Amino acid sequence: MIVRRVKVEGKKSLYECLVKLGVSRRDFMKFCSSMCATLALSSSFVPHIAEAIEKKKKPYAVWLEFQSCTGDTESILRASKPSIAQIVLDIISLEYHETIMAGSGYSAEKALEDVVKNQKGKYIAIIEGSIPTKDGGIYCVIDGKTAVDRAKEVCGNAAFTINVGSCACWGGVASAKPNPTGAVGVSELISGIKYVNLPGCPTNVENVTATIVHYLTFGSLPVLDRENRPLFAHGKRVHDNCERRPHFDAGQFVRKWGDEGHRLGWCLYEMGCKGPMAYFNCPTVKWNEGTSYPIQAGHPCIACASNDNWDVYGPVYKRAPHVPGAGFQATADKIGLGVVAGTITAVAAHAFVRSLAGYKSKDKLAKEKTETDKA
Amino acid sequence: MPKIVVDPVTRIEGHLRIEAMVEGGKIVDAWSSGTMWRGIETIVKGRDPREVWLFVSRICGV
Repeated sequence: MIVRRVKVEGKKSLYECLVKLGVSRRDFMKFCSSMCATLALSSSFVPHIAEAIEKKKKPYAVWLEFQSCTGDTESILRASKPSIAQIVLDIISLEYHETIMAGSGYSAEKALEDVVKNQKGKYIAIIEGSIPTKDGGIYCVIDGKTAVDRAKEVCGNAAFTINVGSCACWGGVASAKPNPTGAVGVSELISGIKYVNLPGCPTNVENVTATIVHYLTFGSLPVLDRENRPLFAHGKRVHDNCERRPHFDAGQFVRKWGDEGHRLGWCLYEMGCKGPMAYFNCPTVKWNEGTSYPIQAGHPCIACASNDNWDVYGPVYKRAPHVPGAGFQATADKIGLGVVAGTITAVAAHAFVRSLAGYKSKDKLAKEKTETDKA
Repeated sequence: MPKIVVDPVTRIEGHLRIEAMVEGGKIVDAWSSGTMWRGIETIVKGRDPREVWLFVSRICGV
């Protein structure tokens, strides 16, 4: 259904399509403002965003799924701001998406081939799920082609690639030890492509939309960190915007599930929360129309948007490890004594994240930096 | 005997392939294959049982 609509209206701008769908000017401007806020831009950029969306042709995009649970697709289908359920699907001319497209088999593959051939270098490749490399790539085969071959062909010919969800970024859950299928993310498989990582388990639709809106407005990708994640979404720690943070600073910790502290919404650090190490805008953007997010619901953060969160940041319910020299663990119980201790803890947490990140070779970091600069 | 292959089967979660043999306008034999595997049952081996739900809930996100 979506494919058919896109074909009919493929040459129109997004705004024209939205008007046709009954979206009011007011809702449209609300959407532009919310995108501006997500991108951490000044409100003076709202007219620029509106102008870009009004005038620009919808870019072609194809969405490939590999080793995924379709959770990122589910996340996208729940786009809600400003109650435009189709916003992401209409912001781009989505020509191929296995979960929602009408055609299947030959006709589906034909749609993909057409975009790769006719829009070479112009379309956006969106990748969901990891890519298995073991045993000749047999653990994910679509239409007789391995995920490895499909990803290389589709990403290699795209203007740029958006990796949605942690699996597409760096292997995610499939690459957790012992990684039975040799699952990797797109950037590890294909070098030399322009790409954005939008990790999270699942990715957050607000960030996907904002990245595409940024591209439409400025003709470039947003500023990225050294993991190729946009800074607007991954520049701050979960801990920094956590509504339980005052309890952390006051030394009020949940010690046991369902204890008084848990019922009162105290800090989940002692229960294994990785919020102090996780860089994600989860606490501000939230989920399900901005309703809630894991910590608000009473569960520790699992650092789902961090590389190899299952094995590096796990176990989930174990308190974050001791950081030598900074007295992180020693001070955790005494934080109530003063703000100074809290500050030391925060610094230690930051040092911990830096030390986690240290496993990458300098060459790789330098290469990533160059790619980021280029982007 | 003509063979029909539908791969990918769309509007589902995961990857599915259907092959069918047709004879005189009737399907006489058919096969279905799930064409993706991650081995989550192997991944959760030896982990803390309390966190296994986080892994297995990611088998299907729909």
